[in-house]
Amino acid sequence: MTPADTLHRSPSTDVTPSEVEQVERALIDASTRVPVLMFYTSAIIWLLLGTLLAGLVSFKLHSPNIFSGVSCLTWGRIRPAHMNLMIYGWASMAGMGTAIWLMARLCRTTLRHPLLLVAGGGFWNLGVLLGVGGILAGDSTGYEWLEFPSYAAIVLFVAYVLIMSWAVLMFRFRRGGAIYITQWYLLGAFLWFPWLYAAAQIMLFVVPVQGVLQSAVSWWFANNLLFLWLGAIGLGTAYYMIPKVIGRPVFSYHLAAIGFWTYALFASWTGMQRLVDGPFPAWMITASIAAAILTIIPVATVGLNHHMTMRGYFSLMRYSPTLRFTVFGAISYTVFSMVGVLISLRSVARYVQFTTAGEGYTHLGLYAFFTMVMFGSMYYIVPRIVGREWRYATLIKLHFWASVYGIGLMTLMLLAGGLAQGSSLNDPTLSFDESTQSVLPYLRGRSVSVVLLTVSHCIFAFHFVLMLLGLGRTASVPTFLNPVEEPEAREAQV
Amino acid sequence: MKELLPIPLLLGIFGTFAFSWAGLTFIPNYQIGHLDPQTDEEGTDEYPMAKSGMAERGRKIYVANGCVYCHSQQVRADYAASDIERKWGNRRSAPRDYIFDRPVLLGVSRMGPDLANVGKRLPVDEGAAAAAPPGANAALAIAASPAAPTTSPAAAAASPSPPAPAGASPTTPATSPAPAAASPATAAPPAPEEKLLADDGSPLAYTAAWHHRHLYNPRSVAPDSNMPAFRFLYEKRRISGETAGDAVNFVGDDRDKPEMGWEIVPTYEARCLVAYLMSLDQSHELKEVKSTASASAAAPGKGAK
Repeated sequence: MTPADTLHRSPSTDVTPSEVEQVERALIDASTRVPVLMFYTSAIIWLLLGTLLAGLVSFKLHSPNIFSGVSCLTWGRIRPAHMNLMIYGWASMAGMGTAIWLMARLCRTTLRHPLLLVAGGGFWNLGVLLGVGGILAGDSTGYEWLEFPSYAAIVLFVAYVLIMSWAVLMFRFRRGGAIYITQWYLLGAFLWFPWLYAAAQIMLFVVPVQGVLQSAVSWWFANNLLFLWLGAIGLGTAYYMIPKVIGRPVFSYHLAAIGFWTYALFASWTGMQRLVDGPFPAWMITASIAAAILTIIPVATVGLNHHMTMRGYFSLMRYSPTLRFTVFGAISYTVFSMVGVLISLRSVARYVQFTTAGEGYTHLGLYAFFTMVMFGSMYYIVPRIVGREWRYATLIKLHFWASVYGIGLMTLMLLAGGLAQGSSLNDPTLSFDESTQSVLPYLRGRSVSVVLLTVSHCIFAFHFVLMLLGLGRTASVPTFLNPVEEPEAREAQV
Repeated sequence: MKELLPIPLLLGIFGTFAFSWAGLTFIPNYQIGHLDPQTDEEGTDEYPMAKSGMAERGRKIYVANGCVYCHSQQVRADYAASDIERKWGNRRSAPRDYIFDRPVLLGVSRMGPDLANVGKRLPVDEGAAAAAPPGANAALAIAASPAAPTTSPAAAAASPSPPAPAGASPTTPATSPAPAAASPATAAPPAPEEKLLADDGSPLAYTAAWHHRHLYNPRSVAPDSNMPAFRFLYEKRRISGETAGDAVNFVGDDRDKPEMGWEIVPTYEARCLVAYLMSLDQSHELKEVKSTASASAAAPGKGAK
């Protein structure tokens, strides 16, 4: 069986779905309503809390006296608390919510026993709560993105197994012969994550590896969590949303297959470039740099595929919120990967290592790419499961622009600040204090961006609550960002 | 009816991931996952050694409060970075330096300076660095004065006068729980340990007393620092009888000084943290790494080869 055989024509080709299919979709949507809404609600609550912590992290970095007497609010605790909250609370919860809905839709099967999935989500929330509480109380493990203490990690893992089994079970009970590219990514993500998490936990805590290898394992984990877990969900979602909204099939299934396999092969080998010139055998770092350069292949394939699918339809971004967020995310993915390649190159890495540039890169991936794609998918999915349309187009527009300007400013500040910091760090004639002083203006700029993002998230959360309360519009057409003048500017109806 | 699960897809998903797992964690574990401490021919002079209980406990405090998010603990090679020129170490870090570390705290950011050798730094009078005492102390002062690099050229000019071994293997401060580094050049004068206070009575940089004052209020010793204060690791109590020996030294800093009859003392956690900081020392020579310290380069019999 060649990879292309398993790809199924895009779900978007049914421009006029038959009555049967409409009923079927309504049934599937109804079966996912409770768990998906539960995952989304939790995700948004975590997002708000994480944003609050982000503000503290950002402000304290240039005004260190804020709350300096409180042990659980010291900078070194709220920073990992913020990161872990965003990754496990917001990103993973939102990603799993979207993935469950996509799986049900693409497998054309109703979700059986949704309450068990809700239980899984509840345990996951408990794990995040324990973990963040543990970090704030001083129980952090000290490994990047694995700071959750072991009691939280166990709860998280059990919750995950529960959630994953449901997604994989749906796949087992799927109808329709072929598998769409989105399902490849989702299946990959659901199977990679437990292995990744378990392998990292075992190699760091159960039978810990010696010395610097712990750092290698922890970067291998953090990097693959970004690419193979969140990245795969994000790419899979974009592969669904873009064709679906504009009502055309994906440009090329062959490109999609090439993109998927090269992504799995090369992206999983990156990560060690963050340790450049550290106490490691040089081949490890070189291998990761080479892999990072090779990720240009999947990035170019995916980017080209989306671009060709969208060609001639870019004007629809004027109307569809889903398309606007998703395409922004997909473009950010290309930018994120290119920045990743650039800062991996040894000559550049030496400059920006130990500076804020690494943080800028992470935020590009986690926010500009992943989070924006998730917002896009929520704008698509929520109306379908609550049976109401988004209430105010203005709020969606405000959300979009506050997010875009916020993350744009943040990335710019962190990357430019990293260059400034790096150039003064690498000049031994300057005192160390000057390197910190040189980055402070950028950190203040970053605080402005956090304010923008806080506004954006509050708007979105408010709008989401309106939907939850059934206060959305009862209309047969989706909420468009701008009044539709042309008849072809329509979203797929169901 | 189609197959239940698409076997090639699943094999691919597992295969690509197994490849990365094996390549980036499993194989390196064979290569550098089972290192032993090095010893000299007689089986003595073991390096590295496990840290003392207090320092190990200090590592937990270091982790709990996220010091690692701003401070790295690795020195990069001289061809790659300016770490050695900044006197953060006299050689690059190697995997063997970390074999007892759990968790390993290499760090990702340098919002604050590198700490790989902070315990080895000898007391330096930051305020009076220009007026450093002549002879051996001047040579040692360069190795320990990243905060005042502008004074280095002057001090470096003074360094050729004493015999070179002085800077080759400085003995660790008395407060450090780490074993005294013993190298061929053991004739180093023990002079610097005596002077821990500046002329005005405030603690010299990188002494335990200085660390306590720095942790209690970073801006009292480094006005431009953006490090958070760790006051919750200290407690204020009424002086009963004499002032405690380890009470925070506020000489020359009126703002933080408690009212008469009270003192600020480090908690056990703060003392552990400082013990840990004072134990950070990668100055011992390693067979696999070339030492590039300018001071030791001048020494004829350098290296533990």
